[in-house]
Amino acid sequence: MTKGIFEGLKVADFTWAAAGPIATKQLADNGATVVKIESFRHPDSIRLGGPFIDDKPGINRSGFFADFHSSKLGIGVDMNHAEALEIIRPLIEWADIVAESFRPGIMKKWGLDYDSLRKINPRIIMLSSSLYGADGPWSQHPGYGAQGAALAGIQHMTGWPDMPPAVPKGAYSDSVSPRYALAALTAALIHREKTGEGQYVEMSQIEATAQLVAPQLLDLQVTGTEAQRAGNFKPGAILHGVYPCAGEERWITLECEDETQWEALAALLNDAEGLNAARAQGRDALDSRVAQLTAPVDAFELMKACRAAGVPAGVAYKGSDLLEDPILEARDHFWPLHHEEMGTLKYNGPAYRHNKTPAKLRSASPRLGEHTDQVLTEILGFTADDLASFRDRGLLQ
Amino acid sequence: MSKDTVNSGGALQGVRVLEVSSLSGAVCGRVLADLGAEVIKLEPPGGEKARFDAPLIPTANGEESASWLAYNFGKKSVVAELDSDAGVADFACLAKTADIIVTDFQRLSLADMDRLEAIARKANPAVIWTEILPFGRGHEYEDMPATDTTLQALGGHLYLNGEVDRPPVRVGLPVGLIQAGAEASNAALMAYYHALRTGEGQRVDVSVQEVVIWTLLNTTMAWQILSLNEMRGGAIRKERANRFYTRLVWPCQDGYVVFGPVGGGGGSARMKSYAALLKWMAEEGVTDEILTRHDWNGDGQFAIPQEDYDAVTEVIKGFIETKTSGDLIARAVRDRILMAPINSIKDIHENVQFRDRGLFKPLHDEARGLDIELPANWVRMSETGLAEMSPAPAVGADTDALLADVSKVKEAS
Repeated sequence: MTKGIFEGLKVADFTWAAAGPIATKQLADNGATVVKIESFRHPDSIRLGGPFIDDKPGINRSGFFADFHSSKLGIGVDMNHAEALEIIRPLIEWADIVAESFRPGIMKKWGLDYDSLRKINPRIIMLSSSLYGADGPWSQHPGYGAQGAALAGIQHMTGWPDMPPAVPKGAYSDSVSPRYALAALTAALIHREKTGEGQYVEMSQIEATAQLVAPQLLDLQVTGTEAQRAGNFKPGAILHGVYPCAGEERWITLECEDETQWEALAALLNDAEGLNAARAQGRDALDSRVAQLTAPVDAFELMKACRAAGVPAGVAYKGSDLLEDPILEARDHFWPLHHEEMGTLKYNGPAYRHNKTPAKLRSASPRLGEHTDQVLTEILGFTADDLASFRDRGLLQ
Repeated sequence: MSKDTVNSGGALQGVRVLEVSSLSGAVCGRVLADLGAEVIKLEPPGGEKARFDAPLIPTANGEESASWLAYNFGKKSVVAELDSDAGVADFACLAKTADIIVTDFQRLSLADMDRLEAIARKANPAVIWTEILPFGRGHEYEDMPATDTTLQALGGHLYLNGEVDRPPVRVGLPVGLIQAGAEASNAALMAYYHALRTGEGQRVDVSVQEVVIWTLLNTTMAWQILSLNEMRGGAIRKERANRFYTRLVWPCQDGYVVFGPVGGGGGSARMKSYAALLKWMAEEGVTDEILTRHDWNGDGQFAIPQEDYDAVTEVIKGFIETKTSGDLIARAVRDRILMAPINSIKDIHENVQFRDRGLFKPLHDEARGLDIELPANWVRMSETGLAEMSPAPAVGADTDALLADVSKVKEAS
């Protein structure tokens, strides 16, 4: 049995919502011991976001929460209790990494800002990830990834030119930021491995997400041209669009970048004459001709034929399609994990594979406070009497 | 901690990266270069194709790709023909000195990846070979053709975007490829961390499809738990796994803001945000019974009828339409209302938060006649700063110097 890359790494994880937990999930799935600290009076808010098992909201019933918390341990502490540091301080002494994603200032309020942490544990690496960043005029403004996507240009670039911006699904900046956060965090670990020096890593979701529009920012400065959303139009392509297929809400993307692909598609759709005539009339005529031809066709059959003919094509997968996709199955993308209240669900595994040290999703998400006793006794060395005292004083549930 | 304590030299100082790339591999190299690695691009004579990717901008060299320049500043360039014996020999020499090699499917075929990885591995068993592929390695689909848009589709994101009365619409940026590049950077660094501690090198592959799946957040759970396939929406959509529609994009006097006042899941921030909005509306004489008919962000939000969501939306919309984006955001920041402007590219360049944080760093590119700013300052690290800005390389700018260096190594070994 190979060991995970981060086996032995110890993480005190104060992150909540999406961006932070997605980043620490990678550490956990690669072998790190990640202890998620939740304030049981104010649990992670995505525990309150659906989908809920049996469609009944409940603190341990959210699939949204579950997917970001594989392989983690969870403890519930009243972080606002005046004596919370009795539990948290030993955790900081134990940890290699402290990660958090609160509004800037919260960790300081608890006596857990970087300057305080390094006094407790000089080798500590602290990751702070927030929506806007730790300073600046908006640092205290609350927000979620949909706001992040709006600020970083993703929404402006999505949708039809004659319509308001279309909000892309999801808290989009929450999906960008973990990739950059992990790169910086792992670089900090590498630096510590070489020099023994810990450090503070501070990130903003919107700054990470703005990396996606760096070319457009450069274009604007040099030419004055401001990129705009353009539906599914792609400059330079002969054909680039999303077309209806047979069945309810079935769509396929088709692309022809060159004449070879164009001729292959025209032959496949069995309408070279009509398609060439439509192409001569312009983009709208071409899109509507292609749509007429694809409308009665099965999307998956058409994709298969296009792939064989070398024409880029992709069915617009629904959630159900992803769970049945033969590629993802061959890739072992989904990990079935059992949870006491939620039963067995397929969790999303990572997008990368290390051929010598593969990631492994070891357990389902923790219920709120599920591992409190285990972590406090086995990791932190507290006694049963200590735990009773913590409970008497309201530090633990 | 003071900002003055930052030492020179990045966290990856001394790490050497070879990059055989188009867009996604270059984004991976970008992140590693920012963190202090020395990134050497291997290009064919005349330069890699991505130098001519849209959008093109005029420079002293003629037209060059804005995308290529933005993701390749501060790197080195060596010309090596990877299908010639001499080029392969140069590649092997460089691979011997490298820690990480990065490539992607738009630049190399699978057969070339296998061939070059074997050469690199022989020269340097501890090297991290990093490859970005549409669907990853190790199965019968590894060699299927794909593009960013097909991968937005097959990753499940395309289906969820756009107006209900039009086809699904893509994000109008190559987000799958760019995000895959960023993902490859962290996956490569994990492997390098492992190699540093154990001496064991390995291959890392990244699937763009899986990268896109990770932008969905709860879609695959919604299907498993509720047998619910979410429907796309534009300005109005079903947020999270809701069964009801709410408005998320709101027209104001001079643009749009994004705002989820009601029904978007729990959390005290949502409740406080809504209360702050109502207070503002009341100050300006806008009141309506519908505004307080339900606990719009409380436990019962999932049971509120759609027509009530529609009704409360009309009242809020009427209020927001009377304001400018600037008025809205000033008040939102002051009172913690969960609202943001939908920034255009120019808005991003001028945004006060980005400016105040120093996201943009100036780059003077003498050879191209460019004085520009790039959003390069994406992380603050207290002990290891990000790399200094320097221009993107001319084709083969470093061929002689680097190959002379490695041939010395070769002779000495």
